[in-house]
Amino acid sequence: MNKINKNNSFKVPDGYFDTLSGNIMDKIHKEKSTMSTSPGFKVPEGYFENLNTDIFQKLENEPVETKIISLKSYKKHFYAVASIAAVVLLFIAIQFNGSKAISYSDLANSDIEQYFEFNDMELSSYDLAEILPLNELDLNDILENRLDNDNIIDYLNSHVEDFEELNLNNDE
Amino acid sequence: MFELKYNMLIAEETLVIQLKHKDHQSKAFEVLVNTYKERLYWHIRRIVLNHEDTDDVVQNTFIKVFRNIDGFKGDSKLYSWMYRIATNEALSFLKSKSQKLKVSNEQLYNKTVADLRADVYFEGDEFQLKLQSAIATLPEKQKLIFNMKYFQELKYEEISEILETSVGGLKASYHLASKKIEAFLKEN
Repeated sequence: MNKINKNNSFKVPDGYFDTLSGNIMDKIHKEKSTMSTSPGFKVPEGYFENLNTDIFQKLENEPVETKIISLKSYKKHFYAVASIAAVVLLFIAIQFNGSKAISYSDLANSDIEQYFEFNDMELSSYDLAEILPLNELDLNDILENRLDNDNIIDYLNSHVEDFEELNLNNDE
Repeated sequence: MFELKYNMLIAEETLVIQLKHKDHQSKAFEVLVNTYKERLYWHIRRIVLNHEDTDDVVQNTFIKVFRNIDGFKGDSKLYSWMYRIATNEALSFLKSKSQKLKVSNEQLYNKTVADLRADVYFEGDEFQLKLQSAIATLPEKQKLIFNMKYFQELKYEEISEILETSVGGLKASYHLASKKIEAFLKEN
């Protein structure tokens, strides 16, 4: 059976399909504009065509903020001079306070403790072993929360089965 | 559909690179304005209502975008960022206008809605006018969300990026806004 060309009786204008997509896109564009406005709101004729020019003109007319770099940068020199003056004044003040040499005894113990607390000494465990007197150490010096003897006994009661293993001798 | 979205992302990324490059900036900015001017105009128009004010705000928005493009980090889509600027410019404009006129934001908005009747660039019928009056009763954020969802038909995810609000929050706000508008229209 021959395939019948369904369209052989019907014609289209010359160049119809060439312009079809363009026409469709124009219609879609118009519809989209009204869709986003929703009925009611209008714009002046040719507004969007001129908008680009208006924006660029405004950009050109706007004062551009330029960074003003002064040739004589007083500020820079001011800080340098001020810091030198401060050092000189400090030097003079120290001289006036007498020529007594500072020794370790002048440092308060609290200052020394603070120094160790806030400075990272990076001491190894060997360094610590040399410095810390073991016979004077108590468990509570290391622990953050103080342990009561009662707590220790309770712990041992609940966790240790054979007390002989602990080798606790009051004589030692 | 995925390919189209992917191509659009690539195009946007390329546009951003060119916008930040002094040699290509002018041309790229022209493309940017052409691409977004209508969308941003209508978004702003929904907030400030009349054409003259919208014209001011949309121009200021693009100028702000141009001046701040170097600060755009790409952590959101370019158009979300621009929409955000447009929203802030529109709201600041209204605030500034109400301060100049020594009225509250609400009073100014109601006056602007009332002026729509005589506005040559408003062709809406009585229903449209009533709808605008209903929208005027909403708090600022609900107004924004309603406009963006109902009129501009943006997706919740898109609105979420622009307003930096969760999708859940947006849905709740939109639902509340719709109910309020419905009630207003029934009563009036």
